[in-house]
Amino acid sequence: MEREAAIQGKNGFVLLARRHFLQECPLRLGAMALFHLLLREGLAQAQSTNPLAPKPPHFKPRAKAVIYLFMAGGPSHLELFDYKPVLQRLDGQTVPESYVKNKRFAFLKKDAKLLGTRRRFYRWGECGAEISELLPEIGKIADDLCIIRSMVTDVFNHGPAKLFMNTGSTQFGRPSMGAWVTYGLGSASSDLPGFVVLQSGPRGPRGGAPLWGSGFLPTTYQGVPFLSGPEPILDLANPPGVSRQRQAAFIQRVNALNRHRLNLVGDPEIATRIAQYEMAFRMQVAAPELMDLSGEDRRTLEMYGVEPGKPSFAANCLLARRLVERGVRFVQLYHTDWDHHGNRGLDLGEGLERICREVDRPAAALVRDLKQRGLLDETIVIWGGEFGRTPMGEPRETLGRDHHIDGFSLWLAGGGIKPGLTYGATDELGFYAVENPVHVHDLHATILHLLGIDHTRLTFRFQGRDFRLTDIGGNVVHDIIA
Amino acid sequence: MHGLFLCLALVVPAEQDPPDFVQDVRPILERHCFRCHSSANARSSLRLDSPRGIRQGGNRGPVLKPGNSSESLLIRAVTLGIDGTRMPAQGQPLSKSEIDLLRRWIDSGAAMPKDESAGPEVQHWAFQPVRFVPPPHTAFTGWCRNPIDAFIAHRLERRGIAPSEEAGRRTLIRRVWLDVLGLLPDPEDVDAFVASKRPDAFERMLDRALASPHYGERWGRHWLDLARYADSHGYTIDGPRSIWPYRDWVIHALNENKPFDQFVIEQIAGDLLPGATRDQIVATGFHRNTLINQEGGTDPEEFRVKAIVDRVNTTGTVFLGLTIGCAQCHEHKYDPISQREYYELFAFFNSDDEPTLRLPTPDQEIRLRQLEGELVQLRSRLQQRQSAVRLAFLTAALWDSGGIFGALLTDLQARLVVGQFKGGAAADPILRELAKQVRQVEQERAGLLKKIPTTLVLRKRARPRETYVMIRGDFLRRGAKVEPSTPSVLPPLKPRGDRPDRLDLARWLVSPDNPLTPRVTVNRVWQRYFGRGIVETENDFGTQGARPSHPELLDWLAWTFVQSGWDLKRLHRLILSSATYRQRSDWRPELVEVDPTNKLLARQNRLRVEAEVIRDISLCAAGLLTYRIGGPGVYPPQPEGIYRFTQVKKPWPESKGADRYRRGLYIYFWRSSPYPFLITFDAPRATTTCTRRVRSNTPLQALMLANDIVFIEAARALAARSFRVCDGSPEALARAMFRFALCRPPDDYELNQLVEFFVSQAEEFRSDPQAATLFAGELPRGDLDLPQAAAAVATARVILNLDEFITRE
Repeated sequence: MEREAAIQGKNGFVLLARRHFLQECPLRLGAMALFHLLLREGLAQAQSTNPLAPKPPHFKPRAKAVIYLFMAGGPSHLELFDYKPVLQRLDGQTVPESYVKNKRFAFLKKDAKLLGTRRRFYRWGECGAEISELLPEIGKIADDLCIIRSMVTDVFNHGPAKLFMNTGSTQFGRPSMGAWVTYGLGSASSDLPGFVVLQSGPRGPRGGAPLWGSGFLPTTYQGVPFLSGPEPILDLANPPGVSRQRQAAFIQRVNALNRHRLNLVGDPEIATRIAQYEMAFRMQVAAPELMDLSGEDRRTLEMYGVEPGKPSFAANCLLARRLVERGVRFVQLYHTDWDHHGNRGLDLGEGLERICREVDRPAAALVRDLKQRGLLDETIVIWGGEFGRTPMGEPRETLGRDHHIDGFSLWLAGGGIKPGLTYGATDELGFYAVENPVHVHDLHATILHLLGIDHTRLTFRFQGRDFRLTDIGGNVVHDIIA
Repeated sequence: MHGLFLCLALVVPAEQDPPDFVQDVRPILERHCFRCHSSANARSSLRLDSPRGIRQGGNRGPVLKPGNSSESLLIRAVTLGIDGTRMPAQGQPLSKSEIDLLRRWIDSGAAMPKDESAGPEVQHWAFQPVRFVPPPHTAFTGWCRNPIDAFIAHRLERRGIAPSEEAGRRTLIRRVWLDVLGLLPDPEDVDAFVASKRPDAFERMLDRALASPHYGERWGRHWLDLARYADSHGYTIDGPRSIWPYRDWVIHALNENKPFDQFVIEQIAGDLLPGATRDQIVATGFHRNTLINQEGGTDPEEFRVKAIVDRVNTTGTVFLGLTIGCAQCHEHKYDPISQREYYELFAFFNSDDEPTLRLPTPDQEIRLRQLEGELVQLRSRLQQRQSAVRLAFLTAALWDSGGIFGALLTDLQARLVVGQFKGGAAADPILRELAKQVRQVEQERAGLLKKIPTTLVLRKRARPRETYVMIRGDFLRRGAKVEPSTPSVLPPLKPRGDRPDRLDLARWLVSPDNPLTPRVTVNRVWQRYFGRGIVETENDFGTQGARPSHPELLDWLAWTFVQSGWDLKRLHRLILSSATYRQRSDWRPELVEVDPTNKLLARQNRLRVEAEVIRDISLCAAGLLTYRIGGPGVYPPQPEGIYRFTQVKKPWPESKGADRYRRGLYIYFWRSSPYPFLITFDAPRATTTCTRRVRSNTPLQALMLANDIVFIEAARALAARSFRVCDGSPEALARAMFRFALCRPPDDYELNQLVEFFVSQAEEFRSDPQAATLFAGELPRGDLDLPQAAAAVATARVILNLDEFITRE
């Protein structure tokens, strides 16, 4: 029932948006007419030639879309999701040698001192999940979350670790998860890219474009970074002096000549190009419309904490909802900078508090909003970084921790994920994942599974080998699936 | 150790003949070990199925210590186990009597026969020597122009397919210009070629193209894809680097048609050539294009190793067409390359320093020497003068303080005196003048150094590093020590001295009996002309790669190439003058079923040109392109907001004037945020070697071509260029634009469409002069009025967006 209502609501929204669009933009009526003309003429060809056309999954999916809130820099599980009384007791003592034998860290030495958290933890919701005082809003949606406290990754420098979390490999040249997913499933949107990347925080994530690249897959599947502001895509705006009508006349003429050429030489690649010019034309309307938040009611804006006209993680969370609402398959939000080594401003004190404030409310609002609109059932939300942080403190200007890969936390919500669950555990220092460890490959396998994809069958042949997102590993974590 | 003693205690000594390897020992190994340790599957690089393999041992070193079974790894493995795993890892453990027999065999000296034998994968086609294959006979003799065509026609004939006819001359000259130069021919060139009645008109056109210095740019860019060339370090910080002199080297080497073997040798080991020239050292930049991680908290050794891994893998892919990288962490699953052999290749690259080389011009060098000479002189004069002044001052000071007391100056007083001395020195005009001169010369020297370009090169270390197998590819886990060597499945290395070095490797790569390098090279050249190689998996000639579609042709080409002295331009000319290359590219509906991907080449393929070429030909059609060759990177305009997505904001001092219109290969390439146009059109990201670009077709490409300022500028200039050559009538304008951009006249339909468009646009702009001004820019518009000029720009924009414009037909 709830689901049906939600779908109605969704259609209603689209209708509303269209009506709004027609009323507000009388000048564009001609363009809209053309839009439909183009649609009729080009659709048959576009269907057969569009590499992003929806494709059937391997089996019945639980989810249709993914929103990945990537907390770049490595949030501290020990300050946020993984409370360790023993670590508190041993605060200031040298880490037992058995823990750090044969281990390497980015900055720490072997004689580092254990650091108990200065943060208070509370039990939240009916499930009683332990979440830090720093994330009260996320605490309030605890009953919708599945917190994994036993994540494990392979590498401890930011660049390679981010690459690993996104592509399942520390080597460059492999497709990212979003690229694999759009390659496997196509996209339900015909006027926006299938994989969109949004970014907030003081700077871009370390590693840059390869994190959302398509590797050896066709570039059609790479993430398209959206910029903040009304024009999120490069060269989206018409050139100076070109109105929507003139642009329509231009595209119409280009395509007429291309169709003529297609008739002469018969290369289906020309049909694809015609379809892509049509999609570009639609995108020119759809993308600014997407970015225009004026249609959102005040309560929604307040729930996210969006300040109109100001780029932020909050605005990106709201855009993420709008993107999946429009059929976009994979949305990834990067928010920097979680690298709390203990330099002033980037520490477990004020630095951590600030970034938690930036992230807490919007992330929780996103889950709530999706739920309200009946979209949470079919959307997987992921919140997490490339690794966690050491139980040992790092002696810098203030309080901080080093990079840590043997046990850290991450949460998931929606899309067939079991809600109200805290899964796996680290040892009493929060060092090693000892109960139900979940490796990066396992996480990838599980996400693909929820999307109806068998991770061992989603492959691409390159250099004589069938590659896949999970390399040669990956087990679906059935325990966390509802 | 306890266990070991226990085991020893259990051994019952007995008077027996030593076991025989073939009769007793080998069957035990076969029963328990071959599954994981044979030529077919050599885990840990260990092959126990041949005496040679047993003697060589695996990643952890030798498995036998003849005469001492208790110190032999083999015994340890089957008794105590290694890293907690007792061998065999799968299946029944060895029985006590079997272990006992192995012990006795080892204790008795581990005698083995000397025989060796090769495994089946060694028979793989690509590892066989390149042979001359005579071109086959074919019924299509009238169609054939050279031996290439005989091979192609022969296959077509067997399938009952006729090849396509030759493309028209306009198509041909545009095709050749795009393929060889990445540029458009001038209309005059097109007209001359079309009008020529000479029987060798095509060959003469080819020779002109191949003689153009832009050939080096076009084919240099292909090579830079392989070399993973970029202007920044990559990873997260992605700081700038200067290595463009290497790019210049590539362009010039190709233009002077340096024999390909020499081209390779200089890039792999130019620094080791006897009497290496500066250019030959610059060439070693090939392997300095690896990434450098400047992130804090990284282990430099880890990323040094990563760079060398990339050098090994790139060498494997680019020259041998092998996925050698697969053997970094384990035995190659499919090809006969062991992990040990991987690290033997690694060893060639493990003993280099990575310096920066200064490249002054002769004038700069002379000036630099002069300045350094002057500095030495000035400084010594300054010193002399200082001493003189100090002496004079001290004397004066002593005098002042009254003879004998002066000799007893306390520390404090001495300091005071020196302080006064400094003041005194400042007062000395000669000293002041000298100091000023030193400063001036130093400044000039610093200014000069700033102007002198630098590049990254390799330099062999005086003392080589030791190389070990890295267990599971982990640089912290050392296995057996290895020496530089090449995979045993390929012809042997012939080193100059005791310890083989990079120069030996380079010469081995291009030795006439290397079966891979020539095949891989001609295949890649072929791929650029037809969109697909004769071996479709151009980066995998191993057992998992595709079989060649025309194996005899591949060998004939490879053989001919080596025989010609690795002459690249001759290879180009050979392929370009074939009837196969000159065919029409139109689709043939009757072949869609028989040969859907056109493997048999019954026609040419239509290829969307590469990112840089799209830019270059747009500027070319517009008459804007700056033809200057070489030099550092340029910064054409790019949309705002690119650096929202990088960790560190990159400088982009937008180029003005001629540099704004340089060719695409000179665009400064930041690895973490490349020029967006390049990436949108599938240019590689330069993180690893790229042997073939994909050709995607996306809406983002449509947006860029339609809206980007670079292409609007080009459309304006194409319009202006067209006004200059015609009377300004819509029809004449359309014809002129077609001529400049597509090298052909429009047909009736096209002409109608364009004229109609022009007229309706002119009308539109007439009612909106402001838009016309915005759109047409500051266009010199001849006799046209503003709305007409804007309509002309709109028409030019249509043409630059046609599929045909960005396609090599």
